[in-house]
Amino acid sequence: MSAIIENNQLPFSAKFLQFYKDRTLLAILLSLFAVMFIYGIFFTENYLTITNFKAIIRDAALYGIMAIGLTFVTLSGNFFLLSLKETASICGVTFAMGMATGFGSPDLAGNFLVSLLAALAVGVVSGVIQGYFVGMGGNPIVVTLGGAGILYGIGAWWSDNLVINFTRPHDAEWLGTGSFLGLPSITWSFILIAIAAEIVLRHTNFGRKVYLVGANKAAGKATGHENFSMAIIVFTICSVCCAFVAVAFVAQMDSAQSNYFSAEFGSSGDMTILVIATVMVGGNSIMGGYGSTLRTSLGAIFIAMVDNMMVLQGFNSGPRIVGVGLMIVFSIIVFGLFAKGSRAQE
Amino acid sequence: MDNFLKKITKDVDLSFAILLSFCVYVFFAINIEVFFSHNISFAILERFAVLGLVGLALTICIIAGEIDLSIGSNAALCAVIVVKLTDPLGAPLAMIIGLSVSTLIGATQGFVIAFIRIRAIVITVGTLMLLRGVALLIAEEKTVMLTDFRVPDFITTKVLMYFSPASLTVIFIFICVGIFMRYTKYGREIYAIGGARKEALTAGIPLRRPMIIAFALSGFCAGFAGTVIGLKSGTAQGLGLQYLLLAGTVAAFVGGVSILGGKGGVLGAAIGALTVNFLNTGLVFYALQVHFVQLFTSVLLVIVIVFQTMSRVFDSRQARKSLLATIDERKTSLLEKKRSALG
Repeated sequence: MSAIIENNQLPFSAKFLQFYKDRTLLAILLSLFAVMFIYGIFFTENYLTITNFKAIIRDAALYGIMAIGLTFVTLSGNFFLLSLKETASICGVTFAMGMATGFGSPDLAGNFLVSLLAALAVGVVSGVIQGYFVGMGGNPIVVTLGGAGILYGIGAWWSDNLVINFTRPHDAEWLGTGSFLGLPSITWSFILIAIAAEIVLRHTNFGRKVYLVGANKAAGKATGHENFSMAIIVFTICSVCCAFVAVAFVAQMDSAQSNYFSAEFGSSGDMTILVIATVMVGGNSIMGGYGSTLRTSLGAIFIAMVDNMMVLQGFNSGPRIVGVGLMIVFSIIVFGLFAKGSRAQE
Repeated sequence: MDNFLKKITKDVDLSFAILLSFCVYVFFAINIEVFFSHNISFAILERFAVLGLVGLALTICIIAGEIDLSIGSNAALCAVIVVKLTDPLGAPLAMIIGLSVSTLIGATQGFVIAFIRIRAIVITVGTLMLLRGVALLIAEEKTVMLTDFRVPDFITTKVLMYFSPASLTVIFIFICVGIFMRYTKYGREIYAIGGARKEALTAGIPLRRPMIIAFALSGFCAGFAGTVIGLKSGTAQGLGLQYLLLAGTVAAFVGGVSILGGKGGVLGAAIGALTVNFLNTGLVFYALQVHFVQLFTSVLLVIVIVFQTMSRVFDSRQARKSLLATIDERKTSLLEKKRSALG
């Protein structure tokens, strides 16, 4: 959107340069993909197997879905949420509570639909409240940092900081460990959510508004699209994505605890930072208005690929975190250098 | 009385900070008998040595209009380096090495931010992860420990009833940074690029120098906090100290910095850190689990954000009202002039 607006004011040569710049980032990402892929084929054992690729996409799906939710927030110019893992953990606790005890009424215990709706409702409520504060003019980083502490505190308080177990067989198995046409359900959800998000962003009125508000808040306000309602909607979308990931993860593990998504989750230490990293490595502009969920999905798969390769090479968690950190810093610097002078700064 | 009111309304956020810290202190002093005692005061100042520094680090960054998310990792890295090097090199040399690494990391961040002209939150999220990984690498993914736990005793001995060398050094750092920020050219530049960056750059203030100084200072403070924690406990972990970000942010915001930059000061940071310390120390007496401490600290942050947002909205409404009033006045006076001219 922003590129279109800028393009109309520029002469042809500048237009061409702009077009080239836009595509260069994608080209860099794709060539890095290719390099990693070729390196993997020749130097890593068991890399080129279908099982391994399934594992990569399955890994990518967990934080990819959250990152797609976060992309809406980033595109609308509200930076990012620091409360991703806390939102996920409180939703996971809610879901596990529903599956284990049915929120106090034994009739509902193990009822998948009620538990799912409760978890999603918790996500919606936390998203709306945080979005409200951000829309009122609070800084997203600070508001969600406070929100993170409160959500984690409530989740730990509610579950007494214990692991909540529920036994198999339960109704949520199909989501946790089930598979369809050879791919796990979570991977299918990732693909479907990615396509849906791309369609919403590209072809609906709401999606274009997200880009408009992110690219130019003042213009958005002047044309009647205030950040207030936008912040509430995008924060809700993001929180609901977190809730969905939490439900799928808890369904897989048959248990939940308030710090399931905290330190040492997966490979890279911290779920929140990993998701933000995914958005950045994909090459979305943190200032908003530029990027797409397709990039985010590619970023998720890229991070999962690198991580997978390092695991197969036998690295410990230290070098793996350094690897992901270097990827983020590299993509930020490359993006910053390419966008220098245009919209890198407000 | 008028003078007093003027002083309060001149810096509403700072007055609110003082009021809030007073309220928190009085609440605990009433409910807990021993709260108002020498030992507790000593404990509060000991905690202040860590939290005050982190709050100061974030305050400087926020004054420059940016936010440094990597202070937790920076502190953890410095703690790991110091604890690891204390055995072979001795504590003083280890501290110097650790602090210079932290300061250098901060300065590099500042340089990158000013050179590429990106927002600090973007790059510091990356360095948060990178530094954490480096700390893990240096610690070889284990908890690093001192072999001789008597080595760091010198920083916890009591001096003058309330102080320890650690807290005295921190207070000294506070005074130095306060003077630097307030009375030197370089300090004023940090305020300038935070408060009105475009105007400051147009007026000829370089972006790189203040940015590098601000982030180097913040890296130094974070590193010092990590050093104190590491030496006091005698252990350090690569993945530890991430809670410092929340605590530091709360301290900075309670102290009255504005996220828009250019506002706030060292005094505010000290008051904010003290408030958070009162809260943490008070909650210890209720024997609550750690997530409750986090919950209450976050509630404190939300209260401050709500207050700041409300006061900003109130201010803009007042400004709008007064603007409309002046426009109305002008209109009526013009109309009267026309009428009198027409006769």
